[in-house]
Amino acid sequence: MPPEPDLTGAAPALHDAVGPLADGSMISVRNMSKLYGDFVALDRLNFDVQRGEKIVVLGPSGSGKSTLIRTFNRIEPHDSGSILIDGTVIDDKTNLTPLRCMVGMVFQNYNLFPHLSVVDNCTLAPQLVRSLSRKEAKDMALHFLQQVGIPEQANKYPIQLSGGQQQRVAIARALCMQPEVILFDEPTAALDPEAITGVVSIMNTLAEQGITTLCVTHEMAFSRHIADKIIFMDRGRILEITPPEEFFTTPQTERAQNFLNQMIRY
Amino acid sequence: MPLTPWLSGSSHPDLPLTAPLHASRAAIGTPYARNNFFRQRLSGIGFSRKAFPLRKPVHHIRTTFLLMAGLMMGGANVAHAQGHQEDIPSFVQNGTLTVCTNPTLPPMTFVKGSDASKPEGMDIDVARALAERWHATLSIIPMDFTGLFPSLGAQRCGMVISGIIQLPDREKNFDAVAYQDTALTVVARANTAPINSMADLSGKTIAVQSGTSYATRINRENEALTAAGKLPIIIQQYPTEDQVVQQVLIGRVFAFVSQDVELYFRQKQLHGKVRIILKPDYSDYRHFAIYLRKNAQDRTLVQNAISTLEQDGTLTAYRQKWSISSQTEQALTQDTGASAFNWGAFFSALTSMAFLRGAFITLAVALLSHAIAIVISIPMAITLNGRGNSLLKAVLKTYVSVFRGAPTLLQLLFIWNALPQFFPIFREQWFTPFLATLVALSINESAYQVEINRSALSAVDAGQELAADALGMSRRQVYRYVIFPQALRIALPPTINDFISLLKTTSLASVISLQELLAITQVQVARTFEFTEYYAAALVYYLAMVFFFLFLQKRVERRFSWADRKKASANAS
Ligand SMILES: Nc1ncnc2c1ncn2[C@@H]1O[C@H](COP(=O)(O)OP(=O)(O)OP(=O)(O)O)[C@@H](O)[C@H]1O
Ligand SMILES: [Mg+2]
Repeated sequence: MPPEPDLTGAAPALHDAVGPLADGSMISVRNMSKLYGDFVALDRLNFDVQRGEKIVVLGPSGSGKSTLIRTFNRIEPHDSGSILIDGTVIDDKTNLTPLRCMVGMVFQNYNLFPHLSVVDNCTLAPQLVRSLSRKEAKDMALHFLQQVGIPEQANKYPIQLSGGQQQRVAIARALCMQPEVILFDEPTAALDPEAITGVVSIMNTLAEQGITTLCVTHEMAFSRHIADKIIFMDRGRILEITPPEEFFTTPQTERAQNFLNQMIRY
Repeated sequence: MPLTPWLSGSSHPDLPLTAPLHASRAAIGTPYARNNFFRQRLSGIGFSRKAFPLRKPVHHIRTTFLLMAGLMMGGANVAHAQGHQEDIPSFVQNGTLTVCTNPTLPPMTFVKGSDASKPEGMDIDVARALAERWHATLSIIPMDFTGLFPSLGAQRCGMVISGIIQLPDREKNFDAVAYQDTALTVVARANTAPINSMADLSGKTIAVQSGTSYATRINRENEALTAAGKLPIIIQQYPTEDQVVQQVLIGRVFAFVSQDVELYFRQKQLHGKVRIILKPDYSDYRHFAIYLRKNAQDRTLVQNAISTLEQDGTLTAYRQKWSISSQTEQALTQDTGASAFNWGAFFSALTSMAFLRGAFITLAVALLSHAIAIVISIPMAITLNGRGNSLLKAVLKTYVSVFRGAPTLLQLLFIWNALPQFFPIFREQWFTPFLATLVALSINESAYQVEINRSALSAVDAGQELAADALGMSRRQVYRYVIFPQALRIALPPTINDFISLLKTTSLASVISLQELLAITQVQVARTFEFTEYYAAALVYYLAMVFFFLFLQKRVERRFSWADRKKASANAS
């Protein structure tokens, strides 16, 4: 049994939000904690994400951003509190297959399957998990590769692509599962500026299409102009949940101010 | 043969003169037995596993125990057998004469063809003639030399006929009836002048088969030589008879010591390349005898039967049939001239069914045991790579250390010879040398393969599993479609290297009488003594197999072009 999170400290900022689910919430998080041994990586978090909302998660390194978004597809199981995705409780009894079909994920390092061609990267899981035929899966893969702007790379291997192209494939691969929520974990962090522009514009397009998006990114173009809300985290806690214009102009906490100062400097 | 051989007592040359009753030429020394040629031929059949007994005290104790038990039962049998028909010995029961033999001494008792369960030779013919005389069916039980006397004692057979020297020590416990003369011979290359006595060998090097009593006997000569202030005879010991002969043929040693009867037979193979230079008359090396459980009446009956066979010319006919005659000795001195590489022998070896079969067994054992090793090592590697410390992990780690630490040869011998001591089920017929080799090599190889698999699995980026998980794949799918294909690329080159090494390791299995390529080669060498030609043919087979797998490795690596940017581009364009 992992130790209980520290309950003696100050109540979390959004503790009062515990209550019945808001109608139409895509994600509901209540008192959710995550431990690594004794270390509290996520500390009694509470918030809701509405259907179609775009959330950017910000915070210093090690604050728990990656851990947070990984709890939504249960790649990192949480230890206490509750998470509901589209009204379904996520715990160790949850059938993971439908959950992961519904919640797609894109990684900083792309994590493409190097032994498969671009198109096979996109068709593998739909065939195995969603039982699509090879033809259906391939048609869909080509559709999404078209959408991310690299249809001509379909038959190449990942190693032959640039970083930006690989991240586009990773996005197409996630979209082929036709998720309702998509999680981005610093999708542009490993890219050069030109490639960043391309990937961000794809994310913009997706956002416009109404898919619920949670994105860990320091990319101002996305955070400022596309995001509906900024979640600011520090040391496993959520310190602020505010619209971007508010967050970037008048941050409520000192930690956020410091963080923004640092961000601007680099 | 000039003498009536059953008159005087003597002993088997292969036994040290002081050997205990139950000792044998196989048991007192190396696990390799006397005539490797014939030993090799025994493989594949149940009894042959006993051809390579480990020298273990347990075994000896057990043997002695069996022997004692047998003697007691044998005693009971004497009383029981009194009422039997006059001219049929009591050990012929239910119309069957059961004979124990160790078929490794040509031309007395040996496996000539490929059917190891059917020994042939002078001894077998004599046994058949006796059975006929007693209106009995003959049942031959081939077994390890060590097992002969205990089996006789335990009444598993009525008599033992196996080219065993008549030895007074043995006659304390069993009755013996001599049927064949024999003599010790000293053999050198064809152009060597005869010598007058063993003393003439002073300071010279001779070869003998290890585990035989020849070394003991020559050491006694050496004591005399040293006492006389002369140099001793230098003795080199080799595990197989054909190697002993080879040392003379290649000129490394001056002479070798053997038994004339055996040599008459071998001269066919040697093509006059050697000659007998001395027959020292050792009184304890004169006769082969049939052994039976002590029973004065039986002994007389057997003796009468042998006398009759000698008088009616039956034994003489057998001696001619098996080339046991002094005329054939002449052939030994006819030099066939310098021996160059015999291309004919080389090509006929290369295309022979025997070699093809040996290569097939080598390949089959290597492929099967590696396949089994891979199958069992994958879950082991996954477990060992997993997080945390479990008891299972500790067990697996011990398994890997033990089987990587112990010599493969030892593991083979252990499984073949020691395992049956703990689990008698491994003594049974189904546990063939092939199966034993498969078990030993699979276990051994899996210990190596685990390490290859482990490093290959951990070389696959952790992000791959994460991405596959995030796409909703099941545990099985993640491994099957994402991790294994990538680990395979990393594991394949070392795996094929291991396989090539394993292919060559199979040759060790000749010690447990598996008929693989090297065993076949040794058999053919022992038969013909054209060792250069047969070694060369074996080399060709091994190299052909290895090159085939190296070629395969190249071909398979091409399939992994996805890992190499340039190759991937070349493939795509
Ligand atoms: N598997 C793990 N075991 C133990 N501790 C972990 C593990 N994964 C993360 N942590 C710790 O949990 C904390 C949060 O990690 P997380 O990766 O979520 O941070 P982050 O906000 O994404 O940081 P970054 O911006 O550097 O990616 C860190 O202190 C980290 O050291
Ligand atoms: Mg992170």
